[in-house]
Amino acid sequence: MTLTEGMPNTSYTITDIVAKEDGMKDFLFSLGCFPGEDITIISQLASNMIVNIKDARYSIDSELAKAIVV
Amino acid sequence: MKIALAGNPNSGKTTLFNALTGKIEHVGNWPGVTVEKKEGSIKRSLNGSSEKMTVVDLPGAYSCSPYTQEESITKDFVMKEQPDVILNIVDATNLSRSLFFTSQLLELGIPVVVALNKSDLNVKQKTVIDTLLLSEKLHCPVVDTVATKGGASNGLSQLVQAIFGAYLSKEKQRSLGIRNAQTAATKEEVQKVDEKRFKVIASIVKEVERRNVHSSSQKMGDAIDRVVAHKWLGIPIFVLVIWFVFSLSQSWLGPFLADFFVGLIDGLYALVDSAMGDSVNPVLHSLLLDGIIGGVGAVIGFLPLIMVLFFTLALLEDVGYMARVAVVMDRFFKKIGLSGKSIIPMIVSTGCAIPGVMATRTIKNERQRRTTAMLSPFMPCGAKLPIIALFSGIFFNENSWVGTSMYMLAIIVVIVSGLVIRKITGDTSQSYFIMELPEYRVPSVKRAALSMLNRAKAFIIKAGTIILVCNAVVQLLQTFNWSFQVVGESNPGQSILASIASPIAFLFIPLGFGIWQFAAAAITGFIAKENVVGTLAVTFAITNFIDVEELALVGGTTEVMAVFGIGSVAALAYLVFNLFTPPCFAAIGAMNAELESKKWLFGAIGYQLGTGYTLAFFVYQFGTLFTTGSFGTAFVPGLIAVAAMIGFIIYLIKRPKAVQSVSRTVKVGA
Repeated sequence: MTLTEGMPNTSYTITDIVAKEDGMKDFLFSLGCFPGEDITIISQLASNMIVNIKDARYSIDSELAKAIVV
Repeated sequence: MKIALAGNPNSGKTTLFNALTGKIEHVGNWPGVTVEKKEGSIKRSLNGSSEKMTVVDLPGAYSCSPYTQEESITKDFVMKEQPDVILNIVDATNLSRSLFFTSQLLELGIPVVVALNKSDLNVKQKTVIDTLLLSEKLHCPVVDTVATKGGASNGLSQLVQAIFGAYLSKEKQRSLGIRNAQTAATKEEVQKVDEKRFKVIASIVKEVERRNVHSSSQKMGDAIDRVVAHKWLGIPIFVLVIWFVFSLSQSWLGPFLADFFVGLIDGLYALVDSAMGDSVNPVLHSLLLDGIIGGVGAVIGFLPLIMVLFFTLALLEDVGYMARVAVVMDRFFKKIGLSGKSIIPMIVSTGCAIPGVMATRTIKNERQRRTTAMLSPFMPCGAKLPIIALFSGIFFNENSWVGTSMYMLAIIVVIVSGLVIRKITGDTSQSYFIMELPEYRVPSVKRAALSMLNRAKAFIIKAGTIILVCNAVVQLLQTFNWSFQVVGESNPGQSILASIASPIAFLFIPLGFGIWQFAAAAITGFIAKENVVGTLAVTFAITNFIDVEELALVGGTTEVMAVFGIGSVAALAYLVFNLFTPPCFAAIGAMNAELESKKWLFGAIGYQLGTGYTLAFFVYQFGTLFTTGSFGTAFVPGLIAVAAMIGFIIYLIKRPKAVQSVSRTVKVGA
């Protein structure tokens, strides 16, 4: 499933990143967001989602959440 | 010796840079504040040697892999300038991500010193890092620092010593020995190496770090985020925050401080007046008193209001609230083909449009970057604040809602304009949005005060140079007629200034302020917006705007309006006109640099002029309709002009477009 279907307060293991552009995939990689790593949904706000990757909080939009397969 | 300062965005590089060099570069508790490299020398109090130590602050980066072109400045700098030492700022609260970049820096062969910054936050979270072990693992010195703190315990002197030691040792930096790191050539190989990099780092972090609170558990900050970045609550909260900032700067604290300032200026006026006596040439007399002291004084009088505004905005940035505003606004910006990333330049523009326009450089998509550079100057900058303060003071009883509504109007104009530009260019590309949310922290009064003083300094320098010259010129132009004879007080309409400004004032009749003094102030406003208040002061010969009571003494609101010759509706129209026309020559210069296209530049200037005119027209005409029941003067000619402008925009939208490249998706960095 994609991250959009995930539940808040739950940790998932990333299985794939299907970003429509390579640059985004590389950028996410440098944050430590790539297959095999964990991602935790902290909360759902408007169309954005707050997630925890490594030890930092990020706000991502639903488009990007759809690109993260867990 | 040259030291390069590198690290992740929002790891505290600029704060450390300021602490090391004693400079006051702009910092904010959100990523992406630094867009250009900045240089400075390490303070004498920290540098015990005779060697000159130059520090270069680079924009933040997460990686310098050849395939992430996100922030290639770091790598380019290291390749070209060959620094003697790389000072890597590592966010101690996020070792597992930060050390990725560190591991890449270690492979460049230049001695690396790690500053483990924000170590005070770890104490709060009860996270313990074994600095000695980390230093051993990384093969480089690691120093605990708290760049935000003053005094001896912030680790800075130890840091400078470590840098000096690394410099003297002249040893080639050892890397972490990740296999194939140097030889990886293809993208797949680099990816393999980078995955290994994260593994190596994870094992190091496991050994050196002891956490009591897991980072993925819910914290106090997350609960606050759920409220301030809430889908519906987020916006009214933002409006309230801005209203509070305006109330403080324009109704409560600001005017109180301004009174003191105005007293000083009045004193200077009286002193110079009495010193000159009666023997001085009357032209010189009025040039000095009404032109220079009156004009510059009118601008300087607003300085306390601006300082209070900057102080509170700096506090908001420091707390970490601005990153949340970007999240709230992202939804709307998405609809117009921009993203939350465009909000950063716009928030910076509330201070000054020049760094705001420069901050667009980090936006990769060309249309998004150009659109943002074109729209950022719509935000009310510090120089526009005196105009807001002047008109809300005289015509609207110092109501904070005037300033707040100007901010909100600016945001609406930005959103509508973004949509228009998207339609004109026909570009439909979408973008992802990702933004790091910094942890909330207690704001530092000292940092906010420094930020405020820095901006106030720039304001005073401007007042002493360009505004002074402009006011002197304005004074001279209104003193003489074209045959260089002094114009009598009875017919100021004969002056050179009046004859230049009158034809332009004619264009302003449909906007309700077709009076040559207002036209003259609008013209000098294009040079710099601070000039507007100064020119009004000189041309109307009122030296003291801030003291509304003094104007009121003339005989109440009607007389004050009589001085200006306009009513409150026209005053609001004039305010809107000045806020939305191009900010100043310097900002146009910055736009020229970032737009990289003359077509876009002239389009942007034309669009801004048109927006200012159209909005002022609607404010005046409909405002008059609501207050008096009929339209204001010259409604029909104005409507034709506005309709022509809108028609031209519609033509641009409807005209057939060149074939667009396939819709692209463009990343936006946190």
